[in-house]
Amino acid sequence: MASDQHKALLFGAAAAVRLLLFTAFPSLPSLLAGRVEVSTPVTSFKRLQEGLFLYTHNVSPYDGGVYHQAPLLLPLFSLLPNPSYHPFATNLLYTMVDLLSAHALMQIADSGQAAVTRLFTSSRKELRWSSVAIAAGFLFNPFTVATCIARSTSALTNLFILTAMAKASQGALITFVLSMAMASYLAMHPVLLFPPLLILCYDVQATNMKAAPHAWRFAVTHLRRLSIALGALLYLSKLLTGSWDFLGATYGVRLLLPDLTPNVGLWWYFFTEMFDSFREFFLGVFWLHVASYMPGLTIRLRKQPLFVAATLTGIFAVFTPYPSIADAALYLSLVPLFRHLFPLMRYTFLASSSILYASFLGPVFYHLWIYAGSGNANFFYAITLVWSLGLSVIVGDSLYAALRDELDVERPELRGKEVKRI
Amino acid sequence: MALISTILALRKDARILKLPPYLSALCILVGVVWLLVLPLNEYSRNTYVSENALLPGQVHTYFTGSEHNIFRAYRHEVAALADKSVPDRNQRLSEILRSSNLKVATQKYSYATSGRNISNENVYAILQGPRADATEAIVLIAAWTNMDGEINHSGVALVLTLARYFKRWSLWSKDIIFLISGDSTSGPQAWVDAYHDSHSPDTIEPLSIKSGALQGAIAIDYPAGPWGHRYDKLHVVYDGVNGQLPNLDLFNTAVSVASGQMGIGCTLQRMWKHDDSYKERLQTMLRGMISQGLGHASGPHSSFIPYHVDAITLQTVGDGWHDEMSLGRTVESLFRSLNNLLEHLHQSFFFYLLLQANRFVSIGTYLPSAMLIAVNFSITSIALWVASGRAGKLPNPASTAPPSTPGEKSTSSPSKTTPMTLAEKDGALALIPTELLQTTERALFLPLAFVLATHFLGLLPLYIFNNTPSTYLSPVFNLVALLTSLLPFLTSFGLKQFSRPTAQETTLIQCFSLLLLGMFLAALATLNFSLSFLIGIATSPLTFVRRSNNKAISAVASLLLAVLNPVVVIRAATFFFGQDLVKVLVQAAEGWHVWGLWTQVVVWLVWWPAWFAGSVVASEGLFA
Repeated sequence: MASDQHKALLFGAAAAVRLLLFTAFPSLPSLLAGRVEVSTPVTSFKRLQEGLFLYTHNVSPYDGGVYHQAPLLLPLFSLLPNPSYHPFATNLLYTMVDLLSAHALMQIADSGQAAVTRLFTSSRKELRWSSVAIAAGFLFNPFTVATCIARSTSALTNLFILTAMAKASQGALITFVLSMAMASYLAMHPVLLFPPLLILCYDVQATNMKAAPHAWRFAVTHLRRLSIALGALLYLSKLLTGSWDFLGATYGVRLLLPDLTPNVGLWWYFFTEMFDSFREFFLGVFWLHVASYMPGLTIRLRKQPLFVAATLTGIFAVFTPYPSIADAALYLSLVPLFRHLFPLMRYTFLASSSILYASFLGPVFYHLWIYAGSGNANFFYAITLVWSLGLSVIVGDSLYAALRDELDVERPELRGKEVKRI
Repeated sequence: MALISTILALRKDARILKLPPYLSALCILVGVVWLLVLPLNEYSRNTYVSENALLPGQVHTYFTGSEHNIFRAYRHEVAALADKSVPDRNQRLSEILRSSNLKVATQKYSYATSGRNISNENVYAILQGPRADATEAIVLIAAWTNMDGEINHSGVALVLTLARYFKRWSLWSKDIIFLISGDSTSGPQAWVDAYHDSHSPDTIEPLSIKSGALQGAIAIDYPAGPWGHRYDKLHVVYDGVNGQLPNLDLFNTAVSVASGQMGIGCTLQRMWKHDDSYKERLQTMLRGMISQGLGHASGPHSSFIPYHVDAITLQTVGDGWHDEMSLGRTVESLFRSLNNLLEHLHQSFFFYLLLQANRFVSIGTYLPSAMLIAVNFSITSIALWVASGRAGKLPNPASTAPPSTPGEKSTSSPSKTTPMTLAEKDGALALIPTELLQTTERALFLPLAFVLATHFLGLLPLYIFNNTPSTYLSPVFNLVALLTSLLPFLTSFGLKQFSRPTAQETTLIQCFSLLLLGMFLAALATLNFSLSFLIGIATSPLTFVRRSNNKAISAVASLLLAVLNPVVVIRAATFFFGQDLVKVLVQAAEGWHVWGLWTQVVVWLVWWPAWFAGSVVASEGLFA
């Protein structure tokens, strides 16, 4: 089949590009792994190596205060040869992770849940890109490639998020819950994706079966399954590290932001400026802000659960404490699934050019601040504001488009008319 | 909301699409004129010292009298070393420094670039400040040979004298390092790299003694021979590698001490005569911009600036009545000022264009000119993006003649009449051809692949020029010039064999290429304004190049672009400034391997790909 050939060609090319970059520029991985835009304290490969060293020397990996990632990553990476001397196995692993993510993305695209759900059929549903094109958009996105080359562990989180979405859109319940549990275990905030994806799963199940399952029973059952899976992962981690200390070093760090290394997000600058007495309050406010999008969007866009999940990844890329370009890459590769909304979006050029400009000016301003010394932290923070602005314009604009799309179906007579705020 | 809707409605207006070329031209014009008005009094400011701690010229200087005799003696000592080998020379210099009760060390270094080997040795001594805790240091440099290759007799002698003289003072609250580097560029680079532990240990020796964080560096270039030479002015050299500049406060302090306290006139950018006219201010600024744009090391101080150590070189020029003692007193006063610093120089500007020793333009005033030129590419790229989404030329609805190629069009519209859409706005009805309202699907693959491949292709000449031995550089340069001039024609001829690119793909190639160019130049403007501006000017014709089916127009456009080929421009520039091409290329390669120069990266990965894409677009008409 032609599309299979295309897929093989695409995956081969993507793998070749990655392996070529790994081998042709041997200093590139460590350069990118040191960039604050790519590696955050909770996803950095260098910190993972530090944790790995402590782990293989029978010291608790969290003792140094450097490693803040999930304990189960350690046995996985300790199986591989030391990446300082034999990086090929690690490189291959990360290439495979990207290919599997692209495979999951293709499954999401093939399911067609982006435009046609149980309760809603977009009026522009024939407007879509092929799954190969969407996967190409993911695999050749420079942000994805940079994340892969930097060997940031957010590549793994992205894989599990995409797999959870793919399985939810196929109605494969067990694998959905398992990958959801893995994503939440690795990065904590993906747990917020569970409700919209569960609704997606429910819708798919209801479409596939004659009678819709009982909604509450369905929800409770799967919530219980998720808790069991997460509990099992956490207990396994406890067995591995010998104590529950890892909770504070991993999720505690993500929650309480003790490490204020600059990143592309909005939190670090704000919390460096903050008086200590207000810290707890604003941590609460910031987290409440991130979490509050989930119920609101899930309820309002009940009919388009996949869109809610995709939008939430965009919100994570802007508002979580330690975002990196990997989160943006995930969101930007999910946006093309909603090709049918593009004609309704109004600020695509503004948003994409601000993202493009920010991705060039970001490293430049960071250089001026850290290396040249002729700039200061405000330079870099200003450009991360532009970056976040670009992403949030896409989020806001696509939300407008999705609502407008619903309106077009509900009130066909309003189609093509300008909306007015009343 | 209403305003946004109005603006959004505007983009459907056909007149908007005609506007961008004029808008781009306006941006370029305003950008250039902006630069030209900068020397006027209204747009530039007098310099001022913003760091209060510096207090330039507030101390009495005591470097006179008997120190003069010591200086003369050292000058003869130095003159006697002129023909000695490097180890002998450095041994004697070490002895002299050691006799002033300083800690002395040497550092060997060697670099291999363009098939030649640069190896030499640095000597340096550390004066531990009596009131210092070895956390901060300032550096006094005299390179053994200056930038012109002359032996820096009096400069080295003055450093030796000042080392002896400074040692006797109890007021230093920072360590002072006296560095006599083997040459003017690689020597200080090797030393400052090793000072910050970022040298390659195979070829460069680590420093055996060190002090604290470097706060500033002053280099002396005074090549007068053993019998001395009275000079007229001090030439302050301030350009760092990659166009990075030292804090303006350091420059101001030097000018203020030299001209205010010692009465020595200061000059910059080789403007030996400067009577503050518009023309001379502009000339100074342009020379400064060219020097900054090239980003080469302009003196021993240049290597320090990338490490965030503010540094300048004081060079004596002309015939006048100032002697070595007034230079010594200037340095003494300057060091007393730096000694006062409580924190790193940070108050004043890091981005400025100097018009004269006491007049400058700050970044807020000059940056818009380079940004406007960068924006012109973005505007055109937006326009091309929109244009690529529109279908081909519509038949004039009023004409009665059928379209000349009925077969092609009929696929989209079964009947030969143009499909119309009824539009209503504010009660008025209008029939608009549907095609005008729709955007066609864009074929992105070929344009994206082409633009990316072009940018990667630039790596090839970058590698070749940085790694060719100097004897082959001249033929290699000519070969590259020939190849790059022919390549656009070959490429468009080759693509034509596959009847690609289509008109839309051509538009998109140009769109992406200009988008990238605009973005690169905007980002570059914040790092190296001058380079961004110069490349922006050299590439500005690319905005107006379009694919034309007229062979004559295509030929003229291709010819014009062939002249603007970066390789040809470099050749012409070296000819115009009377520089030896091979020497420039050797320097560039040395810059790449030794100083960490990035200019050639910008030339080959930003300028050349943009030019190439534009030339391919222009030459397509020849094979249509």
